[in-house]
Amino acid sequence: MRRHAVLWSMILLAAAMLVPFVIVALNAVKTPVEYSTGGPLDLPDGVSLDGIIAFWERVDFGEKLWNSVVISGSVAVLAVVVSVFNAYALGIGRVRGRLWILVVFLIANTLPQEALVYPLYFLANEVGLYDTKLAVIIIFTVIQAAFGTYLLTSTLGGFPRELLEAARIDGANKWQTLVRIVVPISRPTLGVLFVFFFIWTWNEFFLPLVLLISNENQTVPVALGVLQGQRMMDATMTSASALLGVIPAIVFFLIFQRALTRGITAGAVK
Amino acid sequence: MSKRLLAAAVAAVLAVAGCGGSEEASDPNTLKLWHFEGPDSAMGVAWAEAIKQFEASHPGVKVQFEEKGFEQIQKTASMVLNSKDAPDILEYTKGNATAGLLSKQGLLTDISDEVAKRGWDKKLGPGIETTAKYDERGVMGSGKWYGIPNYAEYVMVYYNKTMFDQQGLAEPKTLDELTAAMTKFVAAGITPLALGGAEYPAQQILYQLALTKADRDWVDRYQRYTGDVNFHDNAWVYGAETFAKWLREGYISKDSAGVKAEDMGVAFMQGKHPIMISGSWWYGRVQSQVKDFQWGSVPWPGMTAGSSGNMWVVPKGSKNKQLAYDFIEITMTQPIQDKLRDAGGVAVAPSDTPATDPATLRLNEDFKELSDDDRLAFYPDWPVPGFYDVQVSAVQKLITGQAGPHEVLTELSDYYKENLASVGK
Repeated sequence: MRRHAVLWSMILLAAAMLVPFVIVALNAVKTPVEYSTGGPLDLPDGVSLDGIIAFWERVDFGEKLWNSVVISGSVAVLAVVVSVFNAYALGIGRVRGRLWILVVFLIANTLPQEALVYPLYFLANEVGLYDTKLAVIIIFTVIQAAFGTYLLTSTLGGFPRELLEAARIDGANKWQTLVRIVVPISRPTLGVLFVFFFIWTWNEFFLPLVLLISNENQTVPVALGVLQGQRMMDATMTSASALLGVIPAIVFFLIFQRALTRGITAGAVK
Repeated sequence: MSKRLLAAAVAAVLAVAGCGGSEEASDPNTLKLWHFEGPDSAMGVAWAEAIKQFEASHPGVKVQFEEKGFEQIQKTASMVLNSKDAPDILEYTKGNATAGLLSKQGLLTDISDEVAKRGWDKKLGPGIETTAKYDERGVMGSGKWYGIPNYAEYVMVYYNKTMFDQQGLAEPKTLDELTAAMTKFVAAGITPLALGGAEYPAQQILYQLALTKADRDWVDRYQRYTGDVNFHDNAWVYGAETFAKWLREGYISKDSAGVKAEDMGVAFMQGKHPIMISGSWWYGRVQSQVKDFQWGSVPWPGMTAGSSGNMWVVPKGSKNKQLAYDFIEITMTQPIQDKLRDAGGVAVAPSDTPATDPATLRLNEDFKELSDDDRLAFYPDWPVPGFYDVQVSAVQKLITGQAGPHEVLTELSDYYKENLASVGK
């Protein structure tokens, strides 16, 4: 009986989480006239894919998808690499003043992007990287790596000393210890970081909005903004675009779901 | 295995990112043009045609058009225009806080000479050209020309003819007739006025009510700082008190405080409320999407919120200014203006051929009357930066009953006075 109560409340919770998604999907396949006469909650008469197709063509969605994949993928990989180097020095190498270094990283991480945007724009403009994907990749690599360093340092701080000791006795230098011992053992954690960095960067809106002004460089969330007019919004097309916008993130999550669960439970049982 | 896959992915991704820069340099045969109107909107339709005509009359020149989001242009305009990636011509919002600010920062080209040479000023009425000219403080209404609007917009009364007929009511031409009609609907158990209290519609209605007791001088003092503004004068007090009365009488639902503009429009188009007081930007949508009832529109009695639409501006860094002027010239020609009008927009230049669709004809003739009588009063949130949010929250308090009409006026007055000092500096 009690087990069923838990089960049912879980099902209820899952249903509640899915409601917004269902409403978006529902409106994505309506015609604008159906939306205006029936409102957002009415069931459509049939499935109309016009909104989705029109949006795809209007913003050249394939190009935006590719841009997002390139930017998020590069950032995820580079940020993980940078985090590993930093955390190796801070967590295992025990650099002097590492606590303060971490505090600085953490503070940098809590800075609102609105405060950063003008200096970043100015720098990018000065070095000729304004309106290039590279500028966004560099910026987000730094931002994500700041968090990654913080997280990985505490994980590596608890790295079994015996293993490092054994590696040294076998004649491994620092680089070999990192590549052969530390990285393979922390792979689950790195996998989780990779997935998070990818999804976080994918969802970023503000900095790409400011830094990627050409349509050919834009990412998916920025392209979705095209539909929000000054006073008018096209609710059905906005829903269609929202649906198109979340699908890649969901697909990515499903692919790497195993890495995620492994990473989260890693180290739970010693 | 997975490591090798990852390495390959990294290599591929970096290779692509490296060569992703935009390499198009300034090309004398390309007009880089940005605007943020949807392809089905009146402006989107007309401007697509204008681009076609431009390319036809300028052989060898290509228009490189990019559709932008409104928010992106708003947030990044000053940065983009300051870089070498600026477009040659773009659509930008009018008003002191937007085009006025950019003109003051020196990011827009003064096009006064072109305006005089090509006679654009003769095509635009007096209420329209106000928002195209800015002085050295960035205040609209006088000084140099920085933009050319192609269309106009104004606030009017939309009404559901079918529901009016059911109650035996005629078109509400005056405020008294409108009030009488609303009383009748309340008696029949219908909330007459659709309202979105969470966004611009509520403050515009309060302003509309105040405008019934106002004149051009009052508007100029408020919008162009030509004299003292008193928020407890006849007009403002009448506006706020009448708004409060409409709430008391049940013309407006108290629940509308949290309603968005979009939901207000949908509620009207669903036939839930027989009246909506809002802008001409709804017109094309109401026209194409309302199928279940007859509807009509009447201009607001007296002065009304409204102005030119957004404008074409030429950035200081534009590399093809002559082409940009040629493009503006085409958008002001009659075929393009007629196209804009027939797609449901309000054309600014006079036309010899009246619209064939009766609703479109009505929309444009009502506007001509407003423009000829000089009755356009701009929008209530224009005078000081950040006023929009203050007005939304103040009027929301009025709707929910947290504040009385005089407290609301004091709130508006305090903010206006406090921020007036920063205007034009």
